[in-house]
Amino acid sequence: MSDNLLSASRVITDKVAENISRVEELAYEIRVREVMTSQVITMHPNDAMQTVLETFRQARISGAPVLEEGNLIGLISIEDLIRCLLKQDLAAPVHQYMTPHPVVVKGDDSVVEALKVFVSKKYGRLPVVDSNGHLIGIITKGDITRGLLRALERDYQSEEVRRYRASHLFEDIESERTSLILRYNIKQGDFEHGGEASAKIKRALLRLGASPQIARRCGIAVYEAEMNLIIHTTEGGVIRAEIEPHQISIDVYDYGPGIRDVELAMQPGYSTASEKVREMGFGAGMGLVNIKRCVDWMKLESEWGKGTRLRMKIYLPPPHTHTKGENSNPT
Amino acid sequence: MELKRAIEILDGEVLTTSVNLNRQVKGGVGADLMSDVLSSTQPEALLLTGLCNPQVVRTAVMADVTAIVLVRGKQPPNETLQLAENEGIPLISTRYGMFEACGRLYQAGLPCLERPVSSE
Amino acid sequence: MRLDQIVNALQLSVLTHPIDLSEVEPTGGYASDLLSCVMSGAQRGNLWVTLQSHLNIVAVAALLDLAAIIITEGAQPDVATLEKAEQEGVILLSTPLPTYTVIGRLWELGVRNPETTP
Repeated sequence: MSDNLLSASRVITDKVAENISRVEELAYEIRVREVMTSQVITMHPNDAMQTVLETFRQARISGAPVLEEGNLIGLISIEDLIRCLLKQDLAAPVHQYMTPHPVVVKGDDSVVEALKVFVSKKYGRLPVVDSNGHLIGIITKGDITRGLLRALERDYQSEEVRRYRASHLFEDIESERTSLILRYNIKQGDFEHGGEASAKIKRALLRLGASPQIARRCGIAVYEAEMNLIIHTTEGGVIRAEIEPHQISIDVYDYGPGIRDVELAMQPGYSTASEKVREMGFGAGMGLVNIKRCVDWMKLESEWGKGTRLRMKIYLPPPHTHTKGENSNPT
Repeated sequence: MELKRAIEILDGEVLTTSVNLNRQVKGGVGADLMSDVLSSTQPEALLLTGLCNPQVVRTAVMADVTAIVLVRGKQPPNETLQLAENEGIPLISTRYGMFEACGRLYQAGLPCLERPVSSE
Repeated sequence: MRLDQIVNALQLSVLTHPIDLSEVEPTGGYASDLLSCVMSGAQRGNLWVTLQSHLNIVAVAALLDLAAIIITEGAQPDVATLEKAEQEGVILLSTPLPTYTVIGRLWELGVRNPETTP
């Protein structure tokens, strides 16, 4: 029943696209200390390379920081060990083969910083230090990948669960005609919260599985109507959005003062807004024109002294067809 | 164009946290009238504006704008910053005015992302 | 760059009665749709780019002695605005292009905004 709201193949495509950019976002949000390994096996500069060989073998690691009195002085890796093996020099101390003054990252850096080092230098691992330069962990490319996947899954799951629940609403509840009604009271002059209701409606539609184009068209139309309630009414009004599998119907009404000349109000550029409102970027006389462009049907009724009622409909595409692009003229 | 390149051109200051500077912006739009932004901006634009009230962020959310540039060195009020953080829309401040900012981006190859209204 | 050259290069429509555009040489460009910004930021002789087309733009341009107004996105000023422009000697130009593109083209022609150029 809800196939026209949620076509499985389309949603997956959108999702994939979203997730690619989400990984990039996460690379900036996640800190090195969240994904690093903090249980670090360390070596002493005077340890014999033989000890390194045994440690690496037992712990199945391929590198370790070298500490002297708690201070990080170098990094010893499997490559260093191989050089040593070729020379049959396993009795030599670690400090002869280690890489001194290793490049480090800070625990509070975003993982992107670590990725940059991995890309520009050929290191396989980086020691992680705190703001005092003390070793707190070690990070590899694998740690980053695992960390990103974990975060992505977390992210994905919570939104996915919401989306799943929402998008199956129409399937799970049976009736002759199922609809979801969202209702918002808008206060006159409340510029601070102007747009909150439309943002919520837009988000609800996306969760219900509507395409980004539909959500955008609906969001823009409701936003213009919401701002009209804030700017032009005497005591605010109500936005009521009814979502059904085949259409979204929006009813916006107020209790005054009404529009003197509806036809004139529909003309591009006509506005009764004050200069103050214009200076806020509104009242250019484009709102109703804009709404008309975004919806499939609209009706504006008003009586001066009584109030105004604006009704709009956006039709949702029938099952298994692609959403009409917003560039095509909906009116 | 990558967001960080645009910021470089504008000598801009990023005001919000956790901004992915590698994000792509498809083109630029310069406007102070929010209805204009809503009516003719295509998704993934860089919006340049002289306004800095919270409605700019709301409008950006509705119009799927990628990032907002506040021209003439404007510092937005807290409500605007907070809303931008919550909605994940980067706010960038540039000391250039609208004219210089748009001119420089256009010169650097950032196309216009506003559909002329007459073409509809 | 003279105004007649700019009008030709950008193929602008001249909405007010023709005066000799070759005698006008803008001192720079300014773009904003907010009258308060224009009042505080535009310099004498600037070429003002805006989407606004209502009556008040003429008053602002006259007050600040601006070179001309380019109205973008094909917005049409009403008769009262045109009449007022004639009276005040304000040159109104129009184009279907969006503000961003108009600025870009003007910038290419060498029109700048000296106030904010470092």
